[in-house]
Amino acid sequence: MNTSTSTVIDAHKVSRTFNPETIPVLAVDDVHLHLERGEFTALVGPSGSGKTTLLNLLGGLDKPDKGIIHINGVDITKLPANKLIDFRLHNIGFVFQSFNLIPVLTAKENVELIMQLQHRKKTEIAERVKILFHQIGLEDKVNTRPAQLSGGQQQRVAVARALASKPQFVLADEPTANLDSKSAANLLDVMAKLNVEEKITFIFSTHDARVIERARRVITLVDGQIHSDTARVETNVPHEVDKLKL
Amino acid sequence: MNLSLAWRNIWRNRSRSFIILTSVAIGLFAGLFVLGLYAGMMRSRVRTVIDSEVSHIQIHHKNFKDDFDPALVMDENLLKDSLRSVQGIQSIAYRAVTQGMLSTATGSAGVQINGIKPADEVLVSSLNTKIIEGQILNEETKSHLLIGKKLADKLKVKLGSKVVLTFTDQESNMVAGAFRIVGIYQTINAAIDELNIFVNQQTLNTYLGLKQTCHEVAIRLHRDEDVEQVKLTLQSQFPQYVVESWRECSPETDLMVSTLDQYSAIIIVIIMIALAFGIINTMLMSVLERTREIGMLTALGMNRPRVFLLILLETVMLTLVGVPLGLFLSWITLAYFQEVGIDISSFSGAAMSGFGFSSMIFPEFPSSSLLMVMMIVISTALLAAIFPSLKAIKLQPADALRQ
Repeated sequence: MNTSTSTVIDAHKVSRTFNPETIPVLAVDDVHLHLERGEFTALVGPSGSGKTTLLNLLGGLDKPDKGIIHINGVDITKLPANKLIDFRLHNIGFVFQSFNLIPVLTAKENVELIMQLQHRKKTEIAERVKILFHQIGLEDKVNTRPAQLSGGQQQRVAVARALASKPQFVLADEPTANLDSKSAANLLDVMAKLNVEEKITFIFSTHDARVIERARRVITLVDGQIHSDTARVETNVPHEVDKLKL
Repeated sequence: MNLSLAWRNIWRNRSRSFIILTSVAIGLFAGLFVLGLYAGMMRSRVRTVIDSEVSHIQIHHKNFKDDFDPALVMDENLLKDSLRSVQGIQSIAYRAVTQGMLSTATGSAGVQINGIKPADEVLVSSLNTKIIEGQILNEETKSHLLIGKKLADKLKVKLGSKVVLTFTDQESNMVAGAFRIVGIYQTINAAIDELNIFVNQQTLNTYLGLKQTCHEVAIRLHRDEDVEQVKLTLQSQFPQYVVESWRECSPETDLMVSTLDQYSAIIIVIIMIALAFGIINTMLMSVLERTREIGMLTALGMNRPRVFLLILLETVMLTLVGVPLGLFLSWITLAYFQEVGIDISSFSGAAMSGFGFSSMIFPEFPSSSLLMVMMIVISTALLAAIFPSLKAIKLQPADALRQ
């Protein structure tokens, strides 16, 4: 297995089948994936291609039937449930399609919650919150509840929450799916900036060409298998993605 | 953060939270009201037993109560001398007691004939307050009699009617005497009214062939709580006699008082089961409604004990809001009915009277049971919250997020 100190994710022969007893659906089929620190990767593919399932497996939200997944050198498929929750808390940030902020907490409290779960000191939490809200450009919305924020603002708070725990990488499941163009562009700017400035690894599943445009690596899934894996330096949409007519 | 999050969560769905805290308040109210009602009934019954029926303590000859043999007497002078020095005694009534037959022109009934000194009896059993027609006995008049309302109705006699009492004297000779009814009394205990008649002690002693003796000494104390202490003192002074407290003289009342807690517990358990199901149902709904959010919290790193604690805290907080509400409701209601009473005569007055209970119940706030009831309500809420909490921690984040 190819692992180095800069390896964040190393998935080997990972498979996941749903309903194995009744009507088996092979959502992820024998996937090999290797992500280095600082990558900005888009996971693309048509609906039902296994993007979300693969993200869930990489994030330790689901367990593969076969294969192993190393995150920062730790085989998360072997971790017991409670250890896995703790591992996620300290190593992985999540951004969900429908924001999933806690409606009864303010934007700031949503971000603080993660650090409180980590038992961080109050002063440290306050400092981190200040930095994160500056990075997402919502300093004036810290005490606002999610219902009073726009979709784009909510998703930016979700990004701040994902980064609050200082994770090695952030998994984002269709982060721009519910956003208008401007909000999506703003969010991508924030994520790209964090990726460049803080070397945070981002991997996001998406259908959105605007997101794919900004990715430096595009992995295409078809029927649960990696169809193509293209690293790019230029900003053009990769050839393989074009072919799939996403 | 868990506390703050739990507190805010409970106000997300105000109507649901209102249902739970109302259930808790009503559960507590029902529990306390039942206890208050029972406590009031029992207190009233015990007061009746002490104030009107048997007084605090009674003294008899050892075998007198076996078959009410009039020959089994106690030395009244000896008792008087000794009782004078006993601390805690308020008043004493010396009685002659025998059993016999009361006959009228139209019928007869078995009765207990109580020979009393009216002046003493008033102080011990407040007999004068029970007279509903006529007057209490006069010590000077020898052949007057007081009869209970129930017996008078049964034998169809009235004030001024002449009756004949037949009984045996101390030598087992049949004796009979004619008496005129000068008073009709009525207590809240119909059984007592039907059985007991009162005549002058001296008159009865004359018929029985007794002098300076009595069969029964009834003693009223200044304080209820001194009963056991005074009883021990008297028993050591009169080892030849039987000294009994009201609990032994009226064992059925003692049984009712001692089983009150068990009856109350059964009713409270039934109320709590209903409350528990209400809480389980509502909290389960709350968890299922937030499946996605709970899954998200687990995904982000909130461990299972914290999720469990969150749901438990929400229930406890709702309970703690409901408890003062229930307490206030109980206090107000019981305070009101303690003043005006609850009249149940319209649907169970006769039945209550048959058991010696007043049909007017004055419930009292069960302060001594308050902590226990509150603990039971809170424990019920906690136990009821376990199932929804377990449901919450069993959610798999990937499955929950898909919903």
